[in-house]
Amino acid sequence: MTSLDDLKKRAHELREKLEGQLASATDSASLQSVRDRFLGRKAGEVTALFKDLGKMAVEARKDAGEALNALKEYSETKIGEAEARLERKLRESRLSSERIDVSLPGRARAVGSKHPLTLVREEVEDVFIGLGFDIFDGPEIDDDFHCFEALNMPADHPARDMQDTFYLEGAPPRLLRTHTSTGQIRSMLANENPPGVRVLCPGRVFRRDDDITHSPMFHQFEGLVVDHGISLSDLMGTLETFIHRLFGKEYPVRFRPSYFPYTEPSVEVDMGCSTCKGRRTGCRVCKQTGWVEILGSGMVHPAVFEAVNKRLGKVVYDPAKVSGFAFGTGIERVAMIKYGVSDIRLFYESDVRFLEQFA
Amino acid sequence: MKIPVSWVKDFVDLKVDAQQLADDLTGVGLACDGIEMFGNEAVLDLDITTNRVDAMNMYGVAREAATIYGLPLKPLPVDFSETGAPSSDVLRVEIEAPELSPVFSARIFDVRIGASPAWLKDRLELAGHRSINNIVDLSNYVMLEMGQPTHAFDLRNIRGGVLKARMAAAGEIVKTLDEVERKLSSTMGVVADAEGALAVAGIMGGASSEISDGTKTVALEAAYWNPLLTRRAAKALGMHTDASHRFERGADPAAGPTSIWRFANLAAKGGFATARPVQVQARATEMPARRLTLNLGHVDARLGAHISGEQSMRTLTKLGFEVAPVDPNRDQELSVLVPTWRSDVTREVDLIEEVGRHHGLMKIARSVPPSRRAAGLTHAQVTERRVKGLLSGLGYREVLHQNFASSAKADPSLGTVVMIANPLSVEQDSLRTSLIMPGLLEGLERNQRHGARDIQFFETGRTFNPGPDGPIETPRLALLVSGTTPRGWAGKARARDFFDLKRTVEEILARHTNAEIVMDREGVPPFLHPGRSVMIKLDGKIRGYLGEVHPDTIAAFALKDRPVVAEIEMDTLSSRDALAFTSFSRFPEVARDLSILAPTTASAADVIAAAKAKAGSTVRSVEIIDRFEGQGVPAGQVSLTLSFLFQGETRTLSSEEVERSMDDVRASFSEQGFGARGLT
Repeated sequence: MTSLDDLKKRAHELREKLEGQLASATDSASLQSVRDRFLGRKAGEVTALFKDLGKMAVEARKDAGEALNALKEYSETKIGEAEARLERKLRESRLSSERIDVSLPGRARAVGSKHPLTLVREEVEDVFIGLGFDIFDGPEIDDDFHCFEALNMPADHPARDMQDTFYLEGAPPRLLRTHTSTGQIRSMLANENPPGVRVLCPGRVFRRDDDITHSPMFHQFEGLVVDHGISLSDLMGTLETFIHRLFGKEYPVRFRPSYFPYTEPSVEVDMGCSTCKGRRTGCRVCKQTGWVEILGSGMVHPAVFEAVNKRLGKVVYDPAKVSGFAFGTGIERVAMIKYGVSDIRLFYESDVRFLEQFA
Repeated sequence: MKIPVSWVKDFVDLKVDAQQLADDLTGVGLACDGIEMFGNEAVLDLDITTNRVDAMNMYGVAREAATIYGLPLKPLPVDFSETGAPSSDVLRVEIEAPELSPVFSARIFDVRIGASPAWLKDRLELAGHRSINNIVDLSNYVMLEMGQPTHAFDLRNIRGGVLKARMAAAGEIVKTLDEVERKLSSTMGVVADAEGALAVAGIMGGASSEISDGTKTVALEAAYWNPLLTRRAAKALGMHTDASHRFERGADPAAGPTSIWRFANLAAKGGFATARPVQVQARATEMPARRLTLNLGHVDARLGAHISGEQSMRTLTKLGFEVAPVDPNRDQELSVLVPTWRSDVTREVDLIEEVGRHHGLMKIARSVPPSRRAAGLTHAQVTERRVKGLLSGLGYREVLHQNFASSAKADPSLGTVVMIANPLSVEQDSLRTSLIMPGLLEGLERNQRHGARDIQFFETGRTFNPGPDGPIETPRLALLVSGTTPRGWAGKARARDFFDLKRTVEEILARHTNAEIVMDREGVPPFLHPGRSVMIKLDGKIRGYLGEVHPDTIAAFALKDRPVVAEIEMDTLSSRDALAFTSFSRFPEVARDLSILAPTTASAADVIAAAKAKAGSTVRSVEIIDRFEGQGVPAGQVSLTLSFLFQGETRTLSSEEVERSMDDVRASFSEQGFGARGLT
């Protein structure tokens, strides 16, 4: 006959024994054998004690049962805790063994990029598309009429000196356009809904120049707006909007009278120098004036409308009724100001050390 | 042009400092590029536009300043006393070519040649001119001050006592002051004496009549020379002088006589020359004054600002225009007489510019035109942007090259070249017929030179060939890959090859055309490797090529590695139709792989096509996922692993029917004599 006291004593001993064995069980196998030894259905020592319950006096059984259940619960909890602890430890050790050197660079892959002149061109196009412009592509090979004559630059005009021209062999005479202003004439001639015009003509142009600031091939964009009631005020508002979108509103914009044969009045557009921020002192970019020239522009000269009308054989753009403005600049020039590039030749040398800076 | 502020102050009592003056002149269109200080003397560097010949002198700048500040403009001092016998006793002037010179004046001066007095020398030097002697310096001084070039001839060397304005005889020779013998043509003007040409009209004096230390008497000549004739002559002779610069742009036809008076006035001040009485003058034609009508409503409409009639009149009057209402009852219209020095003002709009620039452009409020119906980008432009975006995403860098190329190095297979009549060099004597040859290959070589060999480039641009109606511009897309895939710690780099670029070309075509695409070797150009290149045909028409660069071309361009290139006509690509949704099956896919041994001569495309045909209607794709030659594979054979994907459109496929399809494939391969390497 087992006495209640014996049983309680036994239970107490088992608790201590369990704690001792758990403390030395450091892997899952030894932990499993602890579980088997104490709670195993056949040979578990706690399980065995339950078998003694039947041998006890009836009145003691309730207390003894409670004591054994408490022991069993205690054992389950302790073993469970130890298992969880071990599992945590194992996961931690696995994670720590999987540690990588996060300071290594990312896996190499080829990186592409648009050309900086494409970036500028698309940005310029998008600003003007937002202002209701169409984008007009003209030919790179053109003739004297579209390039000079219709733009109020008849033969012997002094302004032709500044645009030394490449001519092609063969007849009829053809040339490489010296400016995208040809787009003014071509867009007016091709206009399906006259007299309104609002186009931007980006593209390649060619001049017989080759040095650090000139390339025989470079890029320009030309804009043209024609309609009833277009004024100098519209020119200035449009171009100020453009400059502020492209460079930021912090740059002041200055309009000053200038001269181009195909506009009257003609207007040079300056923006505050982005290099010295208008401080003037010692700045080589703006020659200490605080301003850099960014666009040439002006109100379309009546002679241009007259030349187009003559070619069309009827008065489509009557200078007494419609007016317009035109503007243009070099895409390289804008890119050089925007990105701080000092040598124009870098744009055409396909040097990856240059190109990769615009990815 | 260098403008000493003190010189301008001779004619207008400026109260502003040099910086303010510079800013204000810039505001009316005489742009100041900088201010230089020489002691207390400020010198403005004005960039005067070619139309404003009237402002290319001190008095013209003073006129602008007087208009800006509303200050009086003082007249040029031209009083002087005369001594000796009349000029006409020893000199007469004649105009033989009225179209060359409508008005021609001269006067005799008794001179003492020597160094210039300080006031003369200092001012010339501030204005950027070297001092020579008092007479030459004074002539320059007058030109800088009032814009009229004059020329002093040593009277001893004028034969026959006459100066004539005439056209040169063809082949006539003049030795100019720069000691160069100039052979003239009959379209060039000269100043001549009774026996021959002394000077090239409006451009440069001659050595024979040049004044020297021994000169005692000079004939000072001042004339108006036809701008176009002067310009053509200067261009033909390759000359550009201070005088020609002014005459070409249209000098003041009334300034000739005045300039001689001004010379006399200043010579007296310097005490080194005295004027003889009587100015000899010939006048062949009158140059009528130009009268224009200015409608004030047009001023407002064109500027987009209201400017009062009073203000317009004030501005024009200050600038020397004579202004009066056309009709006292209609004050909207002004009759405006253009001063002789403003040859650039020929139309009403030119007057509007005068009013506008002195009103101040910065004072005009800014607006934007009302919105309108617009198309924005065309389909071709959208396509180009998309292709560029796709390629930069695929790891290609965009490059741009010159349109010029050497005709001697052009590849004949790319067609005839378009020649440039006046090239910069023989290396650039024609227009490119290809973006690859030479642009991209040269671009690659430049990069390889500094060690950059892992390259993927693309370029869009036009190529040129002659056509029946003139040169044809063809927009193209070109691609180049070379070197290896990027090197890094994480894996081995491998050489880029044909198939790298083929994949890119396939990606572009898949997205931008619905045409039937065929790539075959027929017609591959000679600069490509014949065994590693294809022509790209869309709907049966050759539209481009793709291939490894021929070893000879690699050598010719001094390239390393084995670059692969492609070129495609841009107008074959369209963003318009390429995107369309096709519904897909939601039933499970069944995958099967099959390895076979095929002869190395078998084309992969044929193997795939045959497999696809035999696999039945439920096969969705067949791909080659492994290709192996060498150890374990008999010589002359290649091991190919094909991956099949089956999928039902309307139901789940059973493994039995997939097996039946695979059996058909195996049987077919076996019939063709391909060995099986087992089903995996």
